[in-house]
Amino acid sequence: MTAILDIQNVTKLYGNEVALDDLSVSLEANEYISLLGPSGSGKSTLLRVIAGFEKPDAGEIFLEGTSLVGIPAHKRGIGFVSQSFALFPHMSVFDNVAFGLRHREDEPVRDEGEITRRVNDMLALVGLVDLGDRGVNQISGGQKQRVALARTLVADPKIILLDEPLGALDANLRSRMRVELRRIRQQLGITFMHVTGNEQEALTMGDRVAVLDSGRLVQIADPDTVYNRPASARVARFLDCYNMFEGRCEDGDRFVAGGSSFPYLPAEDAQAGPGIYCVRFDKIRVAPASEASRPGEVGVRATFITSEYSGPSIMYFFEGQGSKVLEVEYHLSHRQPDEFSPGSEYALLWSPGDALVYF
Amino acid sequence: MQVGSGAVAAARLAAEKKDPRARRITAILVAPGTIWMILFLVVPMLMMVYVSFWTQKTFTIEPTLTVRSWVAFFSSETYFGALLRTIKIWLIVLAATFFVGYPTALFIGLFIKNKTIQTIVLVLCVVPFWTSFLIRVLAWRPMLGKEGAVNIVLQKIGVISQPIEVLLFTEFSVVIGMTQIYVVFMVGPIAFMLSRIDPSLIEAARDLGASTWRIFRTIIFPLSLPGVVVGAIFVSVMVLGEFATSGALSGRKVNLLGNIIVTQVGSLKWAFAAVVGVILTAVMAVVVAALLRLVDLKKEL
Repeated sequence: MTAILDIQNVTKLYGNEVALDDLSVSLEANEYISLLGPSGSGKSTLLRVIAGFEKPDAGEIFLEGTSLVGIPAHKRGIGFVSQSFALFPHMSVFDNVAFGLRHREDEPVRDEGEITRRVNDMLALVGLVDLGDRGVNQISGGQKQRVALARTLVADPKIILLDEPLGALDANLRSRMRVELRRIRQQLGITFMHVTGNEQEALTMGDRVAVLDSGRLVQIADPDTVYNRPASARVARFLDCYNMFEGRCEDGDRFVAGGSSFPYLPAEDAQAGPGIYCVRFDKIRVAPASEASRPGEVGVRATFITSEYSGPSIMYFFEGQGSKVLEVEYHLSHRQPDEFSPGSEYALLWSPGDALVYF
Repeated sequence: MQVGSGAVAAARLAAEKKDPRARRITAILVAPGTIWMILFLVVPMLMMVYVSFWTQKTFTIEPTLTVRSWVAFFSSETYFGALLRTIKIWLIVLAATFFVGYPTALFIGLFIKNKTIQTIVLVLCVVPFWTSFLIRVLAWRPMLGKEGAVNIVLQKIGVISQPIEVLLFTEFSVVIGMTQIYVVFMVGPIAFMLSRIDPSLIEAARDLGASTWRIFRTIIFPLSLPGVVVGAIFVSVMVLGEFATSGALSGRKVNLLGNIIVTQVGSLKWAFAAVVGVILTAVMAVVVAALLRLVDLKKEL
């Protein structure tokens, strides 16, 4: 794989705020990369710096080996799809898509026949064949999203940057557009960079997921690795699928948090000292308080509060020591939901091998 | 299904029961406006048309129908010329207010990002209106006169050796005066429309490769067009009916339709004033209708 976009030590300041802090990342050709981060993590800033709407205060960006410093947005060959779609309200769908071809400064297409052909091809690709004559206010949100995408794609950019592209759509449309976006990308074979604040979306969409926090890249890996092996406690917290215990490691293989202490499988960098112990919601088994734990299992006692049913899975909420809320997720594909009585105490059990410890 | 249609029928029945009441409220709300418009707009207009066909005696008019006043208007060089001059001055002032007003509006609506500062600057545009109309117009005399400010400055910096005399008491001074007074009516609506343009549209256009000029031509200007039309309607209606500015700044040399109405009414020539009034109203109606055809304001605003 060859890097198509290379971002090297980019720093961006807004006054005294550090939006991007010495960030380096490289994008490969023909991949779908999702950029995940909480709001304020600098992910939109990174996108705007790459697109050329903002100038980095330090660092360089290379597109296919050529530096982009000083090259204005429209000469970079990078497409940008904004969250609000930014469709031109006074033009038809066709004219919106044709805009770049007709009006770009460099090599505009003068032959209307060619414009018609290319625009129609693109409308077909995004599934809007017969809508060319419609005004952009006469189409639905999902269709607007497709028009925005087609408008950018028609100019054959090398990379497409999507700024929270699904944020303005309702849940149903969102999952349809996820599939569509991946299909369109595969068909064209260009690199998509998709910014999102939604961990679910980042994991489903990306061939790789880059996690940004406070202007730094904290992890970049395939979705499976990010989900199962978050690089830091912050990433784990942001994924919102881990119970986290703050405490300290002792003796190299015991973790003490409040009154509980659990053994864990020592990692290579294990050391005594303060740390965070994480167990994923769906790695926990709930047992009656009286039941003895099976060999090799560790756990805590907690009081059942309530449950939340969501179809394919169910979340149980428990209150542990020090009013700490613990969550347990059961996938319901092969089992029935359990009935727990609110206010009663249960044992939450897991295998030490499923736990992650961060220092 | 049956439950559904039953519910629909019941709802419809309820709606019908409510209907006369709702209709009465509508009627009550609409009545004052309608009565007002009939009494003070429709009736006077019809009156004006009617009176324009009355017979004019030296100091009185009689309700004997005749087209003499109409014939007099169109056969007289002075009066028909005034119509043409009115149209000419209107077009020039319209163009001038547009060319002066649009860049101003562009600056206020697009370049000032802060809404509060935007409002403050727009209010500043209106500050000259705190002085009386007459003072605003007459202030141009010491500016444009033979020994006025403009001539003095130009002579001092050596651009001209002799004072320019055509600055004042010409069509030029009328145009200058009117432009200064009415330009703000152009700036307001355009700035309003421009400030509503989503900045991401301009960003998107730039990202798609368009130059600044292209973006202006294809995105910014078309989106501000409703503002231009509203501004043009304001300016047109006011300029077409103007008489004071031309009176004060032309030394009575530039007669517009408005000036003719004033003098005719002054000498009690009501029938003839009515003819001019009808023509003026007709011109305004045509202009407004034409401007409204340019954009669908109901859709755009």
